[in-house]
Amino acid sequence: MSRVKIDWRARLPESLRLYVLTDRGLSRGRSEREVVDAAIAGGATAIQLRWKSGSIREALQIGRDLKAMCAQSDILFVVNDRIDLALALDADCVHLGDEDLPLSDARRIVGERMLIGYSPPTLEEALDAERLGADYLGVGPVYGTSSKSDAGEAIGVERIAAVARAVSIPIVGIGGITAANAAPVVQAGASGVAVISSVVAADDVEAAACELRAAVDAARRSRT
Amino acid sequence: MTGTAIPRLHLISDRRLCDLRSFSSIAAHAAAAGVDAVHLREKQLAAGELLDAARTLRSGVGNAAIFVNDRIDVALLSDADGVQLGESSFSVADARSLSGGRLLIGRSVHDVEGARRAADDGADFVIAGHVYETASKAGQAGRGPQFIASIAAACPLPIIAIGGITPERIAEVLAAGAHGVAVISGILYADDPGSAAALYAAALARG
Repeated sequence: MSRVKIDWRARLPESLRLYVLTDRGLSRGRSEREVVDAAIAGGATAIQLRWKSGSIREALQIGRDLKAMCAQSDILFVVNDRIDLALALDADCVHLGDEDLPLSDARRIVGERMLIGYSPPTLEEALDAERLGADYLGVGPVYGTSSKSDAGEAIGVERIAAVARAVSIPIVGIGGITAANAAPVVQAGASGVAVISSVVAADDVEAAACELRAAVDAARRSRT
Repeated sequence: MTGTAIPRLHLISDRRLCDLRSFSSIAAHAAAAGVDAVHLREKQLAAGELLDAARTLRSGVGNAAIFVNDRIDVALLSDADGVQLGESSFSVADARSLSGGRLLIGRSVHDVEGARRAADDGADFVIAGHVYETASKAGQAGRGPQFIASIAAACPLPIIAIGGITPERIAEVLAAGAHGVAVISGILYADDPGSAAALYAAALARG
């Protein structure tokens, strides 16, 4: 309680460098806790609990552990879609998509208690989201992806560049990103990359996170 | 919301039987005929759509209470009156604190132990079932009005009986200790949902 609350908004460009989303189905039998522990060890800077269906009781149990792991390493802890779950877990951030609760409504509930991330399907919606108070944008799918069946057509790094030019809030690229193709995403203007399978489905989660983080950091250095 | 009367005639949505657009129109007729609580129980629906549906209901059902299943965020944003929780939902205490005490909290229970826990946890009422065999739970025998009696013996909360309830069966579930009933197909499948709702309301009023 005595700890000064971290100003996540000011730190977002750093916190978005390597953003790992959980996905039990892709984790090859490993628990969320195991995967997140290894991802953090490998250099993840943000963790999103993605809980698409199933028991909220279980999400609370897992989420409390993930939140504690993130807090210990000053890593941004994000909850997908459910604002009630995000509040119950005292998450640092909630992430919404265009089928989730609308941004303006979300802000009414969370106020300044947490950040709000948003995934805009189009450039216009990216501008709207910034106007409505989104703190960062997840933009994708940059490359083809198999992790999200509803992700749509790949938009390429050109869209990253277009969104980065249009808005002043930080953005993170998502969709089919690996250590081999992360650099162009960052060079196009993203603060970092968000990944699911290339980390959670890797043989060695920690090594995969480490390689991705190195690729992002190198691209960020070359950008300046 | 302490002191608020617990509704007695609950209508529950089921998109397998009735799409949400039709449901809001049926709910409006049913509310005019005496339904005093409408529940959105749509676990697979995206939150944006669920919020829209709840707001449509809010403006269509007059004074009937609106309950959203499981999602406290949607309940708060739609200005619903309550949230209906299952075994895998938030605890009553979490729901109470997340809603700042603004929401009525119902718990769905399927046995005496669950009903006892709901009372210990401080829920406002329970929905208990299923009492009779029903198309919604095909192949499972109903447990009869004695199931309600056994819950009433263990749990002081108002009990809303669910599962195959018809207007003709209301007298015996009330006699067994139910405070009210919840209906799905009995109203959603009726040729005239408003008239069906009126029959339920009349049977409840007769006790």
